[in-house]
Parts: sequence; C-alpha cells; structure tokens
Amino acid sequence: MLNDVTRRKFAQCAALGVGGVGLSGWLDVLAARASAQPAAAAPARRARSIVLLWMDGGPSHKDTFDLKPDSRGAGEFKPVATSAPGVQISEHLPKLAKLMHHGVLVRGMSTPEGAHPRAKYNLHTGYREGQGGLVYPSLGAIAAAELGRPESPLPAFVSVGGRSFGSGFLGPRYQPLMVQDASRGVEDLRATIGESQFGRRMGLLDEMEQAFHGEYRAPLVTDHQTTYQRAVRLMQAREGQAFDLSKEPAASKAKYGTGKFAEGVLMARRLVEVGVPFVEVTLGGWDTHNDVFTRVRNLSAQVDNATSALLDDLRERGLLDSTLVIWMGEFGRTPNINSRGPIPGRDHYPRAWSLAMWGGGLRGGRVVGRTDREGATVEDGKVGTADFLATVCELSGIDYTKKNETPTGRPIQIVDKAKPFTSLVV
Amino acid sequence: MKLFRLLAAFALAVGVTVAGGDLSPAQDAPKVADKKNKNKNKAKLDPAAPMVVRPVVPLTPIVLPSGPKDAAALARLIDAEVDKALAAATVAPSPLCSDEEFVRRVYLDVTGVIPTGEQAKAFLDSKDGQRREKLIDDLLANPNFGKRLADVWFPKLFPRDSGNRFVLRDPLVKWLTDKFNANTPWNVFVFDLVTATGTVEDNPAVTYFLANRSVDKLTDGISQHFLGIQLQCAQCHNHPFTDWKQTEYWGMAEFFARVQPQNPKNGNKGGDNTKIGVQETAGRTKLKDFFPESAKQVAPKFLGGAEAKIDAGQPARPVLGRWMTAPDNPFFAKAMVNRTWAALFGSGFVNPIDDMHDGNTPSHPALLDAMARDFSRNGFDVKFLYKSVLLSRAYQRTSKPAAGNEKDETLFSHQAVKVMSPEQLFDSLAQSTGLAQQVAAKQAKNPMAKGQPNGPRDQFVQFFLAGAEAFTPTEYEAGIPQALRLMNSKQLVGNPAAVRLYQQNAKDEPRAVLERMYLATLSRRPTAAELTRMTSYVQSAGTQTEGYGDVLWAILNSSEFTMIR
Repeated sequence: MLNDVTRRKFAQCAALGVGGVGLSGWLDVLAARASAQPAAAAPARRARSIVLLWMDGGPSHKDTFDLKPDSRGAGEFKPVATSAPGVQISEHLPKLAKLMHHGVLVRGMSTPEGAHPRAKYNLHTGYREGQGGLVYPSLGAIAAAELGRPESPLPAFVSVGGRSFGSGFLGPRYQPLMVQDASRGVEDLRATIGESQFGRRMGLLDEMEQAFHGEYRAPLVTDHQTTYQRAVRLMQAREGQAFDLSKEPAASKAKYGTGKFAEGVLMARRLVEVGVPFVEVTLGGWDTHNDVFTRVRNLSAQVDNATSALLDDLRERGLLDSTLVIWMGEFGRTPNINSRGPIPGRDHYPRAWSLAMWGGGLRGGRVVGRTDREGATVEDGKVGTADFLATVCELSGIDYTKKNETPTGRPIQIVDKAKPFTSLVV
Repeated sequence: MKLFRLLAAFALAVGVTVAGGDLSPAQDAPKVADKKNKNKNKAKLDPAAPMVVRPVVPLTPIVLPSGPKDAAALARLIDAEVDKALAAATVAPSPLCSDEEFVRRVYLDVTGVIPTGEQAKAFLDSKDGQRREKLIDDLLANPNFGKRLADVWFPKLFPRDSGNRFVLRDPLVKWLTDKFNANTPWNVFVFDLVTATGTVEDNPAVTYFLANRSVDKLTDGISQHFLGIQLQCAQCHNHPFTDWKQTEYWGMAEFFARVQPQNPKNGNKGGDNTKIGVQETAGRTKLKDFFPESAKQVAPKFLGGAEAKIDAGQPARPVLGRWMTAPDNPFFAKAMVNRTWAALFGSGFVNPIDDMHDGNTPSHPALLDAMARDFSRNGFDVKFLYKSVLLSRAYQRTSKPAAGNEKDETLFSHQAVKVMSPEQLFDSLAQSTGLAQQVAAKQAKNPMAKGQPNGPRDQFVQFFLAGAEAFTPTEYEAGIPQALRLMNSKQLVGNPAAVRLYQQNAKDEPRAVLERMYLATLSRRPTAAELTRMTSYVQSAGTQTEGYGDVLWAILNSSEFTMIR
C-alpha cells in the first residue's frame, strides 16, 4: 500500500537515482557522489548552517550577558567593555568580548515556561508542550527538513552531548543523529569486522534484497535499501571523518579548551565544514540554585574558550557569514540572589533573559531589547520564543510561515504568531 | 525584600518552580520560598475525603447476551464483501499465501514475535487439513497475545511527556496484558478504564488519568482511542472538516472536569507512587494546568448526542462510560473493528484509523457496519473478532501482487507487506540470536532476581521510535542510526554466540545448519538455489563459523526478516 508519504519518499529516491542501485554498488555510489557536490545556491547573507550551543539548566543573564552592576542582586562579576562600542559583558568571557562586533545580544527574551522540561520544549519547538495534542519538531529538525541536502551522506541534524528534541510530527527522517560523547564519535559507525568481510556481508545482503524485492515489489523494501545505503555511505564517507576528533591537529584542538563541551564544539565546526546544516552542542550545569558565582565562572571559561575558538576557526575558513552560532538556554535566572542554601544562588526566571548570536550574516555589535535596572523586566524590545525562532528561520532563509502537514493532515506553521526582529540585526 | 516577594509571586504565576511543583528539577530543587503559598496550594491538590463523590447505585456497562458464535460465518461475510468490491472494480485478488508466509505472519500479528525454528517446522510439516485454524486458536490463547496488544495500547494511553515521568508504567502494562489475555469484553474494558477510581495499587487503570493530567489530554485521548474521532482541533476552533463544534468538545471535556489525579512524586526521593490515585469530587478540579487557557465551561454533553443529566453528588465518568460502551453507540464498535482490521492488514477501512468522520469515507462501508454490529452483538468479544478476520481468505492472501492488482491500496486484493514494530523486531531478534533464551535461563535459575529484564527492550524500542509518537506498519521509518546499530552493534545481531544456535557441532552438514537458521529467522527452509549459494559461500569463507556468521548477519539485516510478508 503506497500512501502519500511513501510515494513522496519513493519519488525522492527515484529522482536521486539511488532507488535502483544495488547495495553491492555502494563504493560506486560513493565515488559518484564525491564528484558531484552541488553548487551553493543559497543567496548571500543567508546562514547555511546553524550551531546551537545549548546551555542546559538556564544560564544567569545577570552573570553573563546582561550585567547590572548597580542593582540589588548585582552579584560578584564585573562588566567589561567589548569590541562592540557601548556593549559590556561579563569579565569571565574575555575572548568573546573581543568578538562581539560579530555578534548580536538579545537581552529582551521573555518566555512563558519556568519549569525545565516545558521550557526546553518551548524554546526548541516554538510551541508549548501538549499544545493541540501534537508533538512539534524542534528547530534542528526544521532546519534539517528545510536546509538539508538529501544527497549528503551525513545526517542533517546532529546533537552532541544532550538529548535535544526530535522531529515530532515531521517523522523519523529528520531525527537528530545523537552523539553522546564527542571523543567517541558516532555509535556503531565502525564495523566490528574487517573491511573485506564487511563487503562480503553487504554482497550477501544485496542478493537477498534483490530476491525479496523481485518477488514482493513493495516500496518498503526500497526504503529499507535506501536507508542501509545511506548508513553505509556514512560509514565510508570521507565526510564521516568529521566525527573523528583524532583527525584534528593537537594545536587547534587545544584552543577549544578541555572537556566534553569543548570537544562537542570542535565536532560542530568539523560538521559545519562538511555542510551539516544543524548541530546542537549541550553544556549542562547552569541550573545554579546554589553557588551561582563559582559555577558560572567555571562554565563561562568553557563557553569563552570553545565559542571563541569556533568563531575564529569559522572566520579563518570563510564560514562565519554562512554559519549562525546561537548561545542560549531555556530561561534566565532570578535578578535577586537567594539565601536558601549555604552558598547563594539564583532560581528560574523566564520573564527577562538574554541569549547571544554570532556570524550568519548578522550585523555585529547590536543589542536587541533592554531590561530594567534590576534585570527583572524587559523595558523595551521584548522577544518571545516564536519571535526569536522566526528570526533564526529568516536568517537561514527558511520561510517560517510555511505550513507543514501532520500525519492527519493538519497544517501547522513552522513558527506561529511571530514578530521576527531580523530587520534590526542584518 | 518587597521586590523579592513580588518576583516570587510572579514566578508562581508563570509556573516557575519556586514553590517546588511536580516539574521541579530532580536536583537542586529550591526550598520553599513562600510557605503560606505552598500550603494553600497543597490543600487544593489534595482531594479531601468529604469532597469525593461515589455513585449511590453503581453504574456498570450494559451486559450483553453472548449466544453461539460462528467465526467462520463472519469470515465468509468478510470475504463476500471484500470479493464483491474487488469484482466491482475488476481487480483480481492474489492467491492464498503459502504456509511459510502464513505461519510467520500470524505469529507476528497475534503474538508479536516470529515462530521459533521448531514451531515453524512443526507447522510446515503438519499434514492436518485444519492446521491454520488450529494455529489461530493456539495463538489467541497464548499469553503473548495480551503482551502484543499491551505493546500496541500502552503508548497510546501513556504518552511520553515531562508531566508523567514519575508515574509508574509497569502496573498499567500488566493490567492491559491481563485484560487482553482474559478476553475482557471490550465494553467492560473501556468502561473500567474510563471510570477508573482509587489508587494505582488497587486499580492500575487509574494510571491512565495520572499519565494524562489535563482535561484536554483526556478528552482528546478518549475520543481518539475508543471512538476513533480526532476532536482536538475543536478545542480552540470549530473543526474545519467535520461537524464538531467547539461547544461539542467542551461538552465532552466536562465529563472529566471533576477528576482529581494526584501528583506523582519523584520515586528516587522516596515517593511511593503505588499509593497515589484518582478520585472524582463534587467541585471542579483546581489542579494547576488541568484546564487549558482555551477551556470553556458548558453542560456535559455526549458527542453528537444529548446533554447528560448528572447530579452534583454523582460521579460523571460512569455516565460517559455507559454511553460510550453501549451497543448502540455510533462510534465505539466501529472504532475497534477498524483498528483491529488495520492491525492485521496494515491499514483500516478508514485511514488514519482514528480519524473517522463523514468526510473520510470507509473503503468498505457495509462491511464495517456489519462487523461493528456483529462485534456488539457478540458481547464485544475481541478474540472472536480477531479470529474471524484471521480465518478470512482476505487475511490469508499472499502479499505478492498479482497481475492487475499491483496498484491496489484499498481493496485488500493482496496482503500488505508490513514493517515489524520495534517491539516485534526486538523480540524476534532476541529469539533468533539467543538473547531471549539467555534471559529466560537466568530467570529460571533465579526467579526472585530483581532488576529490569525489560531495560534493553525499552531502550531498543525508544531508539527505533526515535521520538515518533506512534509506529506505522506501512512506513519504513528506521534511519541511519538504527541501520548502524543493526549492522555494527555487538548486541543482538552481532552477538557472537548466535551462530552456535545453528552450528551446534563443527561437523554439522551445511544443509542442516542453514535449514535451522532459515527456519528460526525467516520461518521457511532455504530454496535449492539458496542452499547451493550459501553452502559455497560458507565453504569459501575463512572458517565455516565466520561464513555462517555472515549469512546470519545478512538474513537479520534483510527486508525479509524486518518485514511481515
């Protein structure tokens, strides 16, 4: 039974010419693909890749990008000047301070959810968990669907070090490839047997597939074959080495700092270089109800080293304009400092918070939104979840008003009820 | 200090966990910021005893007479109707399937796992003219029937979201398995679920309400799963392509307005979630987020029917349950018949299977009506419904298309090739690589051993679902990570011990080894050509064991293994 989705997939496969290629031809497919890189058709000033640096737990805006030295809950950190005139950020982000002329700060974030799971869902999908009885695709899945190249041997959405959110009603095709530990690369990417034995096994499998397909002629068999071909291409592809950090020279590795996040960001750069449209890298530990200053200082150092190294590397490679780097978490933290634990901390605060973006054709040095003296209320330039995600879509050439259909035929706009602020930042 | 209070109050208003709600973080949970507020909140959440309402005269589902049943007669009716539609469209049906196709298909469809090599061999070698009928009866009596249906129903009743992550899963799985195995009449089953009251310990069916703690989730779910109706669009606006109006939605929702599901606690922090449960109270629920912003309060009203008269002192759900499960309910029997048909044919008379409305015409309206009438007349007997369909020639057709019916998608001229669900695939792989036997041996040795024998299965299922809400048997949805796991992981397919199940002795003849392997995985013997090819492959390999390992690897990664033909 060939329903619409299957037919569509089938047509795609046929158009790519992979539907009829036997698995035994996997080396040929690979060779053909390597010589047929499509020309970049995206217009100028459009991001072709997005790197989302996800600060899990909700980073304190008053201790990172929106310092309020004269407020009551000012905290311990001092603001310092940056390469963007008039823009100050935390003293613990010194390398990023030198790169703010490539960046935009959004200090007017104001969002509806204050509990971790629901807030993460909201900021990843633009919708509220459970809304309308649907599971919504996350930004990574949207980018994979809109920006991904079907002929690429690499998946279009890679998530490093976190669970992220999936493709929801868009279906498994746009699910992220999860990399739990960047230093170990993609799970099960390497055969446990020698290459020649693997080749013999693929040959046997191909014979079986041909026989079964010959008798049953089900499109599902073609889909199965195509998926296996894509997996084998990933195993064999030169670009698959992007997942192998041991290929990176020690010196360039060192710039990113040490730890899993640094490795994840390095992997993100390697993936952007081979054209992966969306990479998410998670840094946990921002849920600082206790001991906010020591913890944020340590986390800031990790962010500062890895992010500045990423931006430098992208610029050197001419990729900064076509890569949008986003630094954000699920909310900010209370303007006041609590006294509930032995060492002071800050609690969840979705009402006013900050995020940062670099590259991607942004006109650097801008700040969107302004909070009050305490960093408690957005006084000007309030940005909601949908407004922000719609802006990201526009920066990467995605029509956020496009309606995707759910399996039951409900049309759902990529981002709904949004007022993007793109014109302020390009 | 004043400002801090203000902020705390705001934080509460937007649902920030300053006061430690059910969504508070597992670690670093903030202590109470405002004691007064917390206590007030708690008093609201805790269903106080005097508020609870109980029916004066308990309502029960209508008991249906259960006369003599003739599954073969219903199977004949199915075939007459299916054949009539085929003839009208001048589409030729494919012939009946071979025993090899049948045995693997019926094991997977009814018990969720492929037959073992011995089971396949016994069936294929049987000379009994009634062997298909007998196998159908055996499998419907097999405890794996309940397990299979629990696998299908559990994810519908217990959607994965952050709000129910502390709710216990196992009690509902066991409840579903037991009810399906006991062949509880479907009306009783659904009535018991919809009206479930008490604690998880006493009545595991209450888990449904604990896992769906808002009036819209309950309204959407109950309508979709048991009535086959997608009502959720009407929550916020009149449904664009059906007659459902917004007031109709909130009329249904009103039956759940007094349900009080308790908050599950983090089990790792000492919360005992077997002791929490569900009550109905006289007043509307005041649980946070139980009513969405779009909620409207209207009188309780049966979907497409009359307003319900319910005294304030009476629980509302039994009134709804009795209406839903009555033999003359226009949706209830059809919804289950359509679902069952889809489970056995890959697609229903109406598709999507839970989106039945006037604009979505069934492929075989008269047959659907007749089967629904028969289902309620026969006391909503689920196993009988299964048996009737399994006996039909329509079910037993080959999935190989015949000349002229290749393009047919709706007339059931040939069976669908279906993709195994993640549960079917895991159980079948575990059985054909020795994992299932290893687990069984361990359990037999130490039956009291604690632990999570289902851990690897759940992980596998989640990995293969990859976040999808539901599994679709007519879509091949596995992606690159899943293919990589099947090809390269040392678990399951890569288990080095698996070959020894088939090459039991170094001197075993290739014919014997290959026959065991094919029977245990593909439920058939190798063809003569395959035997020649694989024997020469094995003999040219580095060692015979390596050669057999390669053949087994290829079989387990093949479409023929992964699919139900």
